[in-house]
Amino acid sequence: MHKLLARQLAKAVKGPGDVDLQALLALVSEAYEQSDNDRHRTDRSISLMINELEQLNRGLDQLVQERTTALRERESELQAQNLRFDAALKNMPYGLCMFDRNERLIVCNERYSEMYGLTPDQTKRGVTLRSILEARVAAGHSPEDANSYIEQRLAEVRGCEPYYAENGMRDGRTFAVNHRPMADGGWVAIHQDITAQKRAESQITYMARHDDLTGLANRAVLLEKMDEALVRLRRQGSRFTIFMLDLDLFKTVNDSLGHPVGDQLLKVVADRLSACTRAIDTVARLGGDEFAILATADDDQRQAAIATANRLLEAVAAPYDVEGHQLNIGTSIGIALAPQHGADVDQLVKNADLALYKAKSEGRDAYRFFEDALGVAASTRRAHQIELRNALTSDEFELHYHPIVDIGTRETASIEALIRWRHPERGMIAPVDFIPLAEETGLINPIGDWVLRKACGDAARWPSHIKVSVNLSAVQFRKVCPIDNFCKALKDSGLPPERLELEITETVLLQGNAENVETLHKLRLMGISIVLDDFGTGYSSLSYLRMFPFDKIKIDRSFVHELAKNADCAAIVSAVAGLGRSLRIGTVAEGVETEDQLLLVHAAGCTHVQGFLFGRPCPAAGLKFERFAAHKQKAKVA
Amino acid sequence: MRVAQLSWSDAAGWADAPGDRTNANLVFFFGTRQALACGARYQELRAMFPAAHILGCSTGGQISNDDVTDDEIAAAAICFDATRLRVACEPASSPEGSRACGGAIGRALAAPDLAGIFVLSDGLNVNGSELVAGITGAVGKWVSVTGGLAGDGADFRETLVGADCAPRKHVVAAVGFYGPAIRIGHGNAGGWDEFGPRRQITRSRGNVLFEFDREPALDLYERYLGEDEARGLPGSGLLFPLRIFDPERPDHDIVRTILAVDHQARSMTFAGDVPEGWTAQLMRGNFDRLAVGAATAARQAADSGGENRSGDQVAILVSCIGRRLLMGQHTADEIEAARAEFGPRIAQLGFYSYGEISPHRVSGVCELHNQTMTVTTIAEAAG
Repeated sequence: MHKLLARQLAKAVKGPGDVDLQALLALVSEAYEQSDNDRHRTDRSISLMINELEQLNRGLDQLVQERTTALRERESELQAQNLRFDAALKNMPYGLCMFDRNERLIVCNERYSEMYGLTPDQTKRGVTLRSILEARVAAGHSPEDANSYIEQRLAEVRGCEPYYAENGMRDGRTFAVNHRPMADGGWVAIHQDITAQKRAESQITYMARHDDLTGLANRAVLLEKMDEALVRLRRQGSRFTIFMLDLDLFKTVNDSLGHPVGDQLLKVVADRLSACTRAIDTVARLGGDEFAILATADDDQRQAAIATANRLLEAVAAPYDVEGHQLNIGTSIGIALAPQHGADVDQLVKNADLALYKAKSEGRDAYRFFEDALGVAASTRRAHQIELRNALTSDEFELHYHPIVDIGTRETASIEALIRWRHPERGMIAPVDFIPLAEETGLINPIGDWVLRKACGDAARWPSHIKVSVNLSAVQFRKVCPIDNFCKALKDSGLPPERLELEITETVLLQGNAENVETLHKLRLMGISIVLDDFGTGYSSLSYLRMFPFDKIKIDRSFVHELAKNADCAAIVSAVAGLGRSLRIGTVAEGVETEDQLLLVHAAGCTHVQGFLFGRPCPAAGLKFERFAAHKQKAKVA
Repeated sequence: MRVAQLSWSDAAGWADAPGDRTNANLVFFFGTRQALACGARYQELRAMFPAAHILGCSTGGQISNDDVTDDEIAAAAICFDATRLRVACEPASSPEGSRACGGAIGRALAAPDLAGIFVLSDGLNVNGSELVAGITGAVGKWVSVTGGLAGDGADFRETLVGADCAPRKHVVAAVGFYGPAIRIGHGNAGGWDEFGPRRQITRSRGNVLFEFDREPALDLYERYLGEDEARGLPGSGLLFPLRIFDPERPDHDIVRTILAVDHQARSMTFAGDVPEGWTAQLMRGNFDRLAVGAATAARQAADSGGENRSGDQVAILVSCIGRRLLMGQHTADEIEAARAEFGPRIAQLGFYSYGEISPHRVSGVCELHNQTMTVTTIAEAAG
């Protein structure tokens, strides 16, 4: 019997043989019901569970699918990133390598292999740094001392500190290594071929110290070498000599044949100067056609300097053949001996310059030693220069006027304005004593402007038939536009241009060029007369007369003075006057002091005269515009 | 130690079973709420055992030897020879105060020679996990705490507990066993089968569960129970106990039983905590395997009962009401299975509860269990 039924029976038995059937049936029925419920519950829960599990399964499937897709996307993204990383590594201009903490290669790029001539086998992942260094050495891509290089590099990476090193390779290349340790004990290093950069740096250094055209040392190097020489002088008593050179006539070559020829010429000169000196000497180009030489001195410093100077003069003077042009130039040399002529760089350079100035002013193509007198002269000159500048602002200049008389009418045709400097201490100073300095210093320009404005202003108050004659220095033509000054002076004074005469010397034409001639033409077109002054003193080439249609020629006073005694002079005056007549140009005889001279120049055919015979130069206030007597007595000569 | 069993029925009143009941100093009695509510049964026992501590509670069915009854009161009078006893009784005013209540019980019983505690607690107004934690917190976690939560059949309306007084609601009572002679064994097992997917507890507060996998927990239970049985909630919820565990300690699993449902909030209240983030899995019962579970618990208790036992022994079986609701007339199978482990010479007494208290089989820490058979054996060593 089933134990449950037995239990039910036991519960239903009331006494022996007395079974409560009703109760038994109720228990049995309840058991059936419970069993049914249990079965239904079980069925239901199993079915629900299956559904849930299926749903879960579907969810899992979907999740797996999503995860798989995401994984694939990540994989492909990773792949793309790897490709980009590879491309970046491959295309970077530097060599890159990364090592782990055990000094084994993780990755390197092709550039790295190329730089050190490494094969793919030698750059496999896991290769040790030592193997790679050994392979580099074997391929010849290491500094000279290969063994210490390997040990040094290993020590550096083991130092675990960032560092930067530049290694010169045996083949001349220079590699820079930038080493950076990583947190995990490994490191990454960037290797850069900086050969070109290094060369450029040396080139820049060279260029900073050398003249680009000739390759000679530049001024900075010369001064540096002089400093060093002065140190040696103080310590060891080693004397030295400074030569300052300025080429003569170089400007003419440059102007007439152009800069390329000029440059070639400078290069040849540089070579010749170098050839005249020893290797321990320094030859420098200071700019333009200026050179300097620092030479260590021998026992007889002065004699040695003379010998060198002569060699230099001879070398520079030797003929040149530059691009088919046969050229001849010379040089002036100023010499300063150290320590005799100076104890510091500035003094020595200045004194050599003064000596050079002297050489140039004394006829060029020569050398001069510095002398103390030069220093004094230079000081005086500097003082004068300052005074001259002050003179302009202090109104110390004045104009004196000297008439030019029409030889036929004996009337004043024009009056030459002559500048005077009324120095507060030294009294009246003649132009010859300050104009050269003014020309050298450029003060001639403001002084010339002042003269022009003053003369025009004064002349505007004169009778209208009388012209004013103003001297124009060749230096004033170097100004950018002298014409503007004339226009302004004429406009300000109200003087018609026809009443202005400009006296120029042949130097203007000699120095000049087409520009000067063009300026003269423009002035003449304005109505201004152009007079050639001091004719006969210089080259007196008749070609100048052909170059420009002068309105007048002034025959230098030297000819007039000698007129009576020297037949040549008379012939020249006569010839010039005749030439003027033929060319329809007026001729002025300067320096006429006597009636005899007047008669002679008149007879020679001069159209105008100027000289003490008609009075001395005087301030504007003293001018008398009278007709001069034909039978005037011999004037007193001042 | 001597044990005498007694029973009471409406028809026959108190009936003695064989055994020596003189000088009994501890009496346990278990009956339906209806049978105990009037207090007359306690008074009768008090008259019978004036010197004994008398502890009893309402149940979901009484166990007496190998029988399960609803209409009889099951009782046992125990006379200890060398073991001292102390009783503690505290009001269980609210589930939130359960830890404090447990603490008070523990402090009342704590002593250096305290060997074990047997607890009878209110079954509805208590968070059993907190209560046990309160007791062990006061006496130390190596003192064995066993017992159970009182029941109210399948009604879940009111439970009664009394210690040296008539049983009443909202009470927790406990008896402490002192001295070296006492031998207490314990065993605890379920026998339920997990089924269905594992779910995450996504919203809960203490012992109130709101959501599994972001779905209202009550929805899931109603779906599994079907329309008819869902009407029987919360009682029918016991047909699907819930196994929960911390995902980081999957072997330390606990089975929870339902105490109440809130149809409005779609939540379910369990006899112990259901922590958020833990994993949960439904369980279902098979009569045979539940009976095997009961046998396992009995064997564990017998094996852990200690050396040198002599005299009578008593096994107090506290089994979950859920097991009884599922097994119906087959409930006696598990009682017989347990008894088969002990043999007929050991008095078997107990009740169907709303929660079981016993050390965890793995950790040894005393905890609240649900849906299990819990067996406590009590004996004394030979003097």
